[in-house]
Amino acid sequence: MNLKASLVLGTAFAALALPAIAQDYGKFDGYTLRVKLIGGAQYEPLYAEIPKWEAATGAKVEILSRKNHFELDKEIKQDIAAGTLDWCVGSNHTSFAPQYGDIYADLTGLIAPEVIADFVPLMIQHSTVNGRLVQLPRHSDVSNFFYQKSLYEDQANKDGFKAKYGYDLAPPETWGQVKDQAMFFANPPDFYGFQFVGKDEAITGRFYEMLVAEGGAMFDDKMVPTFNSEAGVKALQFFVDLYAAKAVPAGVPNYTWDDTGLGFGSGSVAMDLDWGGWSSYFNDPANSKVAGNVGLIRAPKGSSGKRTGWSGSHSFSITEGCDNKPAAASFLTFLTGYDNQMVEARKGLLPTRAKVWIDAIAEFEAAGNAFSADVMKTFQVSMSEDAFTPPLIAEWIEVSNVLWPKLQAAVVGDMTAKEALDAAQADAAAIMQDAGYN
Amino acid sequence: MIRALTTKRPEMTPFLLLTPALITMLFVVALPLVFSLWTSLTPYQLTKPQTIYSFVGLRNYTRLLTDPGFWIPFGRTVLFLTIALNLEFAFGLGIALLINKITWGQRGLRTIMMFPMMFSPILVGFQFKFIFNDNIGILNNALQSLGLTDQAIPWLVDAKLAMFSLLFAEIWMSTSVFAILLLAGLFAMPRDPLEAAKVDGCNAFQTFRHITLPFLMPFAYIAMTIRSLDVARAYDIVKVMTGGGPAGRTELLWTMIARTGYENAKMGQANAMAYISTVLSILFTWYFYRKLIAARRFMGGVQ
Repeated sequence: MNLKASLVLGTAFAALALPAIAQDYGKFDGYTLRVKLIGGAQYEPLYAEIPKWEAATGAKVEILSRKNHFELDKEIKQDIAAGTLDWCVGSNHTSFAPQYGDIYADLTGLIAPEVIADFVPLMIQHSTVNGRLVQLPRHSDVSNFFYQKSLYEDQANKDGFKAKYGYDLAPPETWGQVKDQAMFFANPPDFYGFQFVGKDEAITGRFYEMLVAEGGAMFDDKMVPTFNSEAGVKALQFFVDLYAAKAVPAGVPNYTWDDTGLGFGSGSVAMDLDWGGWSSYFNDPANSKVAGNVGLIRAPKGSSGKRTGWSGSHSFSITEGCDNKPAAASFLTFLTGYDNQMVEARKGLLPTRAKVWIDAIAEFEAAGNAFSADVMKTFQVSMSEDAFTPPLIAEWIEVSNVLWPKLQAAVVGDMTAKEALDAAQADAAAIMQDAGYN
Repeated sequence: MIRALTTKRPEMTPFLLLTPALITMLFVVALPLVFSLWTSLTPYQLTKPQTIYSFVGLRNYTRLLTDPGFWIPFGRTVLFLTIALNLEFAFGLGIALLINKITWGQRGLRTIMMFPMMFSPILVGFQFKFIFNDNIGILNNALQSLGLTDQAIPWLVDAKLAMFSLLFAEIWMSTSVFAILLLAGLFAMPRDPLEAAKVDGCNAFQTFRHITLPFLMPFAYIAMTIRSLDVARAYDIVKVMTGGGPAGRTELLWTMIARTGYENAKMGQANAMAYISTVLSILFTWYFYRKLIAARRFMGGVQ
């Protein structure tokens, strides 16, 4: 296509798009906004929309980096150390945000209150660190529970389970039932009842949400670690018992998100606790052997009656040193705006604006896509009733790094659950003390 | 001014000519080293830049010296390095000798041999992570399909198997460094001693043992020096395949250093670990250089 044709088409496209951009993004002619964004296939479609903001405001966006979150985290820390925070907008995450201290501006005065009011209040609360709204949530995730439907419809399974455990086989409502069902379904090495992510912050998060569901807490009021409580031991014992019974794959201590996602998609695992973002992959016959056979429910309850609702949001922040905060705020408002969240919701990501949930569900239902509508509904309930974040403290990742190797030690049988948690508690207590908490 | 200096004091000329290189070295090598050495004497945290000014003496080092959590990965790194280097040498030598024998298609094979080195270590890590996956990995599936086992072998979880898997990936990727250097040695080898040995009635093994191998050893030691520095810094493959786990079973120095420095943002402590690990690299380099000099002397017929 020649340049002239591109220009004509581009202008026509912009003209078509204009009615959708009801929001006034302001004018920043000639300004170049420098940004650092999270990269990766699922994040890119949003960035294809950036030219619309440039056309509306007259500004240009210069993307300085586009890396996965862990690489970006490293780069931001280097920028802090080197004093080179000479950019304005950066991708962020609710779990990462607290460790960056005060490099990001409080958005309360920068983003219009009516814009903030359109977001789900709980997500705005999760994006707030020490009373400052340091990020605007882009899309979220919360633990949801996938299972293979056919297993629960099979009469032989129903009869066998009832005979063994004394109650009806149905998608689990509690983690106790998950344990029973995982052991019932498991037939290693061909088939497993359940699986879990087993390393890095992933297993810390899984343990943490189970701890909360069992009625425990990571820290007490004075921020002394208390995860080695009775509830903690009970939470960890769940993982230990499933591993010892071979109800989960032997490799789980080495699994992260891609392994559990691919594992459930391979059809060799009965149940999977994961984020709803995997739904479209699981239900795609080209990639998944469980396509058309996927059930999704809210995460089960622990013994305290609370559901495991570990949650986090990908987000955007504005640096405190930004030389044009109004332009940066306009850009954030655009990226997390209604139209762009609809773009991301259609790709299977889980939005943070209340209206997008409702409209996306309506759109999926109108298109006869009952599964995607169901995913969005489940997410909606989980997000409003079950979701909680890890403690929003700068030391979270460091505490996680002393905890997860010990959780693994218990899972693989090197230590008992109590020994592992006691050892991790001592290390975590030292970290918190060094950080000046007590 | 330069002309004036060189005419008045000609003995200064070499130093003047070296000045640009010295300045470059100062900025590129010496200053970063001094800076990182300084940070290792502070509680420097990346996210709290002001901590760089707080001097704590040798505290980071004394803590490490008494910490088994540091020395166990240190020992494991030495073991990993020793096994990887020896096996890579053995396989590299075998490949080089075989390729040297080929008369047709040798150039093509040499190129193919280099393929593993062309992949990024992160990709190699992912490749082997999925090959060794216990549930959906191709290796377990193959073993089960062939009826060799009815178990899901936990390649990346069992302490010994996980180290084996990491070694396998490392060796797969880098054996060609040895192969290519040893092949270069074989190409450079004079024919006369080989022919003389034949005339003297040496068999193939004797010729290899007493002529070919001693001639190749300097090449082997150069490859070992390069690879010892590489393997002592093994990070990407280990990070992707096991992350140093489970329960620290595959923790090597650099997975620990990177976690401390970046994830925990404790760069001061990480630099102290890195300086101790540098001592390891220097020791290995010194050892291989001594062996290299000895091997050269041997070749020269001094011993």
